[in-house]
Amino acid sequence: MRTRIGLQIVLAVGLVTALSIGLLATVTLRTHRQEMIAQLTRNADLLSETVKRSTEDYMLENRRDRLGRQIEAIGRDQRIERVRVFNKQGRIVFSSDASEVGHALDKQAESCFTCHAQDRPLEKPPVHDRARIFATESGRRLLGIVNPIQNQPACTTAACHAHGPDETMLGVLDVTVSLDDVDRQIAASRTRIVGLAIGSVAVAGLLLWWLSRRLVSRPVAALTAGTRRIAAGDLTTTIPATGGYELGELAHAFNAMTARLSEAQRQLTQADKLASVGRLAAGVAHEINNPLTGVLSYASLLLERAHIDPELRADLEVIVRETKRCREIVRGLLDFARQTPPRRQPTDLNDVVRRAVTVVMNQLQLRHVALGLDLADDLPAVQADPSQMEQVVVNLLLNAADALGERGGTIRLASCQARIAPRGHEPIRHAACPKGCDLLDVGTHVGGLAAIRILREHGGREWGFCLDPVYGRFSHVSAEPCEEGVVAPVACPQCRVTLVEPDSKCERCGASTFAICGPDDEPIRWCTRTGCHFTWWEAREHRGAAPVVEVSVEDNGRGISSEHLAKIFEPFFTTKGTRGVGLGLAVTWGIIESHGGTIEVESEQGRGSRFTVRLPLAAAEQARDAA
Amino acid sequence: MNECDVLVIDDEPVVRDAVRRVLQAHGLRVATAEDATSGLSHPALAGCRLVLCDLMLPDRSGTEVLQEILRRYPSLPVVLITGYATRDEARLALEAGAVDFLAKPFEAKELMESVQRALAGRPATQEEEA
Repeated sequence: MRTRIGLQIVLAVGLVTALSIGLLATVTLRTHRQEMIAQLTRNADLLSETVKRSTEDYMLENRRDRLGRQIEAIGRDQRIERVRVFNKQGRIVFSSDASEVGHALDKQAESCFTCHAQDRPLEKPPVHDRARIFATESGRRLLGIVNPIQNQPACTTAACHAHGPDETMLGVLDVTVSLDDVDRQIAASRTRIVGLAIGSVAVAGLLLWWLSRRLVSRPVAALTAGTRRIAAGDLTTTIPATGGYELGELAHAFNAMTARLSEAQRQLTQADKLASVGRLAAGVAHEINNPLTGVLSYASLLLERAHIDPELRADLEVIVRETKRCREIVRGLLDFARQTPPRRQPTDLNDVVRRAVTVVMNQLQLRHVALGLDLADDLPAVQADPSQMEQVVVNLLLNAADALGERGGTIRLASCQARIAPRGHEPIRHAACPKGCDLLDVGTHVGGLAAIRILREHGGREWGFCLDPVYGRFSHVSAEPCEEGVVAPVACPQCRVTLVEPDSKCERCGASTFAICGPDDEPIRWCTRTGCHFTWWEAREHRGAAPVVEVSVEDNGRGISSEHLAKIFEPFFTTKGTRGVGLGLAVTWGIIESHGGTIEVESEQGRGSRFTVRLPLAAAEQARDAA
Repeated sequence: MNECDVLVIDDEPVVRDAVRRVLQAHGLRVATAEDATSGLSHPALAGCRLVLCDLMLPDRSGTEVLQEILRRYPSLPVVLITGYATRDEARLALEAGAVDFLAKPFEAKELMESVQRALAGRPATQEEEA
């Protein structure tokens, strides 16, 4: 981890750059040198030709002294190192360096080798073959060029008769020039190019280092730090998606993952809480039932005595009654802890209702409750667990009796077959954003169902918002107070992808709409304007009304306040103070939910409440066919 | 000395004492044991007319005690007592051969009704299953 990815990239790319520039520099220098030497060779050849032509007359006239002086004069030029003329035998006949006149050269010597490499010497090889580069003992580099002096008719006819007509070659003019200038220029070029190469590599390295720091190291460091924070348990971590491109995408994906982890953890915590409640309830029930057995047995035993002070009797009766209430509370806890999957069978809900009524009839009469039954005659059977449904009806009847209070009142218990339009009734049991994040929030319930959590944004602030999970109902819960009638765009709270649909308009107010992916990925849309009651679930509306069997329990008691309505199906929510545990409706809701049904409550404070249980009939009709 | 009518097996002292008080108040002779081992080896077991046994004992379950008693004394009625009151447990207890099932906490009257029924040899099956 200590060798930084940025440093590695800089080193790797720096090395490649240095190699490429080095190669380029070498090739350039070599070409440059070759060009300069070629140029110099041509110049030397021209010079050699000029010397040959200018001395031609002296040769023809055989004026050796003039020729020698001429060559000496030419040789004095600083750029010319040496000019000499060899005869055919290889002896130096004239030279700008008088000391070597008369010396003979072997045909294998470097100046002769070009033409004499083969048995029969070449008469006039091309210029680059006649040139040679060699170094003096002091290390200076020289370029020599030989120019053969061929026999001409004028030579054989000249007065000196020095050459016969059958000779083709008479000798060689050898001109040597210094390469000092060329070498100096090449050295200067090399210095310039190497300097430039080092400079470019340094600049490229710095640029790369800066880029990698900005584009790689920092985002990677942010990711690393984020991962560490998550490892340390901080799931609120988000990483700024500054890297752009893949790293930006990675940061986005990382943030989405964190959000989902956090959500999953929240759900687990919630599930764990409920499971713990179950275990706790079972444990507590066992422990509490033992002391309660002592209290109840002794108190009731005392009550059996015939001669007992009436005042004492009244006190004992309170003990027995309250102990029995404890017993009911503990049983409620156990019921909640032991919710089991329904054992479904074709069930006539009218039978269930009648059995439930016989169970609670005594209690209702004691509480001065008048019960009105309105059961439909031709109720089709539904697929249900009869004993669980009985528990539901008993719970609802006892709740209604509690709502009526001590003065009593009327409960109407009705059953019927109905067709229910989806709007206002159909629960949305699956909700996701276009990227697949689960939007259901088990931590926030509306009417017992997990709400759909979204993120709203308006006027530069963002806040969490829970949509009512029943289609067409608008008991939304906002995390913060929000103004009505403003267009507040909506995003996924986890991956922050916008849910607003660009091409869709609200049919009521014309504002843009937003949509979530409901069950089977069917889009369900709402208006982005707060307080606008527009919603549309195309696929569900298309399927139309669904046949159900309804059982409703209606009382004319005190009713439920609107803030309580959203919570009444939550476990441990109770308005009965010390007289309840808050599990009856939670158990009821759990049973209905596991039957794939719905339970709805309408209430008006001071006028009463109506609970309506609906079980889908599609399963029931299949059951009737099967029966 | 060992003559008794009912043997009560329960690990909870308050339950043992309360049950003994109620039964003695109704003229029954009671012996008690605090776990399955001492209950099954209790000298009163052979001569008693009824056993009341808790479903959850520290060493063995009440159902095992019930089966052991029925193996040794097939005609001895056993009533199971439990702190977990569910229909399923009641059904399982009765299927295992108990004559009745009593959910804690109970009133003296409820206890005596169950005991009288068991001593009279009338099983409570139909009523519990209703």
